[in-house]
Amino acid sequence: MGLFNKHLGNRGLRYTRNAIIVVFLLLFALATLFPIYFMIMSSFGDPIEAGAVSYSIWPGKISLESYKFFFEFSEYSYRWLWNSLVVASVVMVSNVVFATMAGYAFSKIRFKGRGILFAVLLAAMMIPYQVTQVPLYILIVNIFEIQNTYSALILPSIVTVYNIFLAKQFMSSIPNEILESAKVEGASQGKILFTIIMPLSKTVMAVMAILTFMDTWNTFFWPFLVTNTMDMQTIQVGLKNFRFANTTYFAPMMAGATISAVPMFILFFSLQRYFLEGVTVGAVKG
Amino acid sequence: MARTASNTRNRLNRGDNAWAYAFIAVALCGYALFTAYPVINAFIISFQEYKPLGSTFNGLDNYADTFKSELFGKAIWNTVVYTLLTVPVALILSFAVAIMIMPLKKWAQTTFKAIYYLPAVASGVALSVVWLWIFDPLQGGILNQLISVFGIENQNWLGSSKTSMFSLVFMSWLSSHGTSIIIYVAALLGIDESYYEAADIDGASFWQKMWHIVIPCLKPTTLFLLVTGVIGSFQVFQNAYLMTGGGPDHSTTMVGLLIFDTAFKYFEFGAAAAQSLVLALIIGIIAFIQFKFLGKDVEY
Amino acid sequence: MKRKTKFASTVLALMLSVGALSACSGNGNNGNADPSNAPSSNPSASSEAPAAKDTITALLPPVSANYQANFEQMAADFNKLYPNLTLKIEPASWEDMTQKLDTQVNAGSPPDLAFINSESVAKYEPLGMLMDLKPHLTPEMVSDFDEVPLGYMARGDAQYGLPAYLAVHSIGGNKQFLEEAGVDWKKVQQEGWTYDEFREAIKSGVVKEGDTTKRYGFVFATSGVASKDYLGILVKGAGMPYPFTEDLKYAYTDQKYLTVLQAIRQIIDDGSMPKEASSIDAGKRWNMFLTGQTMITGKGLAGFENSAKLNNEKLKANDGSAVADSIPVDYVVLPMPSFAGEPAVSHAVVDGYVAFRGKKEPTAEHAANVAKAAYFLASGSVAATTNNEIALSHITESARKASEGMEVALDPDNQAASAVLLSQAPAMREIPSDLGSEAIKIENEVIIPKLQALLAGEITPEQMFEDVKKAAVDTFGADGVVQ
Repeated sequence: MGLFNKHLGNRGLRYTRNAIIVVFLLLFALATLFPIYFMIMSSFGDPIEAGAVSYSIWPGKISLESYKFFFEFSEYSYRWLWNSLVVASVVMVSNVVFATMAGYAFSKIRFKGRGILFAVLLAAMMIPYQVTQVPLYILIVNIFEIQNTYSALILPSIVTVYNIFLAKQFMSSIPNEILESAKVEGASQGKILFTIIMPLSKTVMAVMAILTFMDTWNTFFWPFLVTNTMDMQTIQVGLKNFRFANTTYFAPMMAGATISAVPMFILFFSLQRYFLEGVTVGAVKG
Repeated sequence: MARTASNTRNRLNRGDNAWAYAFIAVALCGYALFTAYPVINAFIISFQEYKPLGSTFNGLDNYADTFKSELFGKAIWNTVVYTLLTVPVALILSFAVAIMIMPLKKWAQTTFKAIYYLPAVASGVALSVVWLWIFDPLQGGILNQLISVFGIENQNWLGSSKTSMFSLVFMSWLSSHGTSIIIYVAALLGIDESYYEAADIDGASFWQKMWHIVIPCLKPTTLFLLVTGVIGSFQVFQNAYLMTGGGPDHSTTMVGLLIFDTAFKYFEFGAAAAQSLVLALIIGIIAFIQFKFLGKDVEY
Repeated sequence: MKRKTKFASTVLALMLSVGALSACSGNGNNGNADPSNAPSSNPSASSEAPAAKDTITALLPPVSANYQANFEQMAADFNKLYPNLTLKIEPASWEDMTQKLDTQVNAGSPPDLAFINSESVAKYEPLGMLMDLKPHLTPEMVSDFDEVPLGYMARGDAQYGLPAYLAVHSIGGNKQFLEEAGVDWKKVQQEGWTYDEFREAIKSGVVKEGDTTKRYGFVFATSGVASKDYLGILVKGAGMPYPFTEDLKYAYTDQKYLTVLQAIRQIIDDGSMPKEASSIDAGKRWNMFLTGQTMITGKGLAGFENSAKLNNEKLKANDGSAVADSIPVDYVVLPMPSFAGEPAVSHAVVDGYVAFRGKKEPTAEHAANVAKAAYFLASGSVAATTNNEIALSHITESARKASEGMEVALDPDNQAASAVLLSQAPAMREIPSDLGSEAIKIENEVIIPKLQALLAGEITPEQMFEDVKKAAVDTFGADGVVQ
């Protein structure tokens, strides 16, 4: 890594520096991990009520009862996972594709109305969803009449302003000369997008993919609003069914939360090499 | 001379408009339907007394009420305090972590990134349970056990207006940096190695490289995180809702929570829409300032 | 180079999967088209013939642990009773169903029935979105219900829904601790107690070890909005059973209100209740009760006895599944204290099935079908099973009959105490909806936030009383409040 000095071969100094860094990172990691640890640990408890939760660092008893309870609680447990997977995957792919395209247009093509259009897009982010929720619900349910379908779950987040903004910001650091020279060679914008921009934007695309997937996977309220049968619910909506009248089935809820986190781990680790390696302009130029 | 250059540009850029519109077509359609339409609706509602069976226009009443409301002012103040305490810390912390990850071995980098990212994957409800335990007001609470080591009496973290805002801020400090860290790391990796090489030849120190290469190169990313962070913070709702309900004595009432209450507790949608638009205007002004100061050098 | 092709193939694969998935979602649409797209209030379908087909939708929370599991059975039973009618039940959790309902109501497309609290009627009525069931209820249906709970679902001449149960919020004590503290709990169960007696009792229930309190006399869940329950229960027994007096003056500006606020502070200052009470939630105080950290806890419901018994059994089994550090507990139903000279009035909560209308005016047939569905859910075996499960007494004759032979294993003393509490439940008092919604606003914006500050010891009872008074006078005028 070029940012850090090699300390001219002074190994001792380098080790000290790395040691300090690692200690800091570990401490921060500990604080970050604690809630997760608690979630996973308590998922191995008995399926008991919330008032009965004993907060302790170590589990009193390890059992897989809660996982069994989760899958036996409803015949739809698997279906919920599947629904979430479908919705999150489609939203992820559509966001990566369309936000990359739009981000490129907004960052690198000088077209009429660019500034205004982008400002308008961004302005929408500033309106809290509490007030747009009812009009959106009217649109989906009363006008389009598509409640309780995958379309209703997917369409409103087909491409988010957040992702367009993210893509635009990342792409703005791609040097213009590369694009200019491609144009001189006669490449169309479409070709530039696929052969130059996309390979150079692998990192941001991977970032967008994981963030969008995670966000969609974790969304609770919208799927809860527009679904009205168990078989169309997503895992987050289904999980909420564990909360009962005056009690909460605590461990199974945590088991559910753990189960619902697993796909995101998988996605993270399968995509991580894209944001580990980085993409250098030089590689493409040469 | 200048003319020929711009001519060449024009020739090269012919057809760009069409391409650009094609690239943003889907985004714009989706936006128009699912974002602009509800927003325009909300705008109209803000001049109405909303009733599902037929609203009536009441002019600027909703806006007048918003500006007259003491509580709205207090909520804005709380939100500003919360934003000032959380957003800069979040930026600095995630930037520092991203930098510190860099010199490590690859497997270590992945591990740390995964760890910091983890809280984002856990469901909010599960996390709020843990935080309630951390903030447990009795001696057995985690934070209280921690401070008792220093001989400090147990605190009523969420229940006292002295500590409630701090508790929410503290909670934000220790969670939800995963996204920013990942975005920063991605941006750091995008910096061309040749810059560092050139700097090394000049004998630049770590801090010089930081100041002259890293910070300028990460400006677009910082701008992005700052703008979205401020927007998110101004709309923050869930933590206050789950942890304190805005109390005690409105010490943690945020605008997002107030709008939620207005819309759903009192069913005053018109008023909620007006509050939202005022809030959006405030955020818009702040974002505009941020773009003015940070957006300049974004274009290369 | 190799990496590049790999990336391209990933993109390709992802794109293919979009195609596959969107095709899949298309199938999903078609498969669900029939049940979900049939509008609930379909006038053309129900107006043609008397037995025309109709669908009634209901948004229902998990009223009891097995309630939602019985949905399919309930729908099938209903269909057997009325072959032309379909009951379509949407499940929702307690926390979230209000928001879903509110969104649907504001969008003009609510479900036909929703299980909500009777107080929420005041929230939806001004919008004109409730449906009057009165013309469609037969005399047999009406006479099946007890009068008091039925009244909670009525406003003026309109009967907006049918009650499922009437629950009394009380408090619960640990029998052994009560006896150790010298409290004659049987007498209290039968005759109630005054605030002074209560204050002495919980004071003597405190057990200290040096400076630290090992056991409190009384812990009520008062974190966040739950604090409303605490104050709500207390003011009932202080001569203010309703937020408005009979001549519609706002009641909480009465000096009696100040007495209650002072009592709240006294209990904490005595050391009978933890000074951190303002952030103790429902789960925490139940844990404190089971682990012997408090003698009395609140709020209490009759069904808590079963919860305590369950833990006792787990303790006996000694398999590590009981609450950590818990002790065997005999749960005793206790009334809330009443204040000097005032009659004991219980805090009653009525939940039930409230009928909604959509943007289109519902036809008489559809309204009648909704009434049938509401009655089906609120009476007979459905109500019997559910109320037994949560240990609440029945409020319809048909449910009482249906529950014969069903096992209710509650302690007889507790059952007697619950009966006394039920008899002290006040009848519904009609409050004009504009006054009602202003009162709710004062409660949310002034009373609850100030109460939390009072519990945390940041303001005095007098300060809070002044603040409430000021807000009330600002809203209702000096003539609109009790002086």
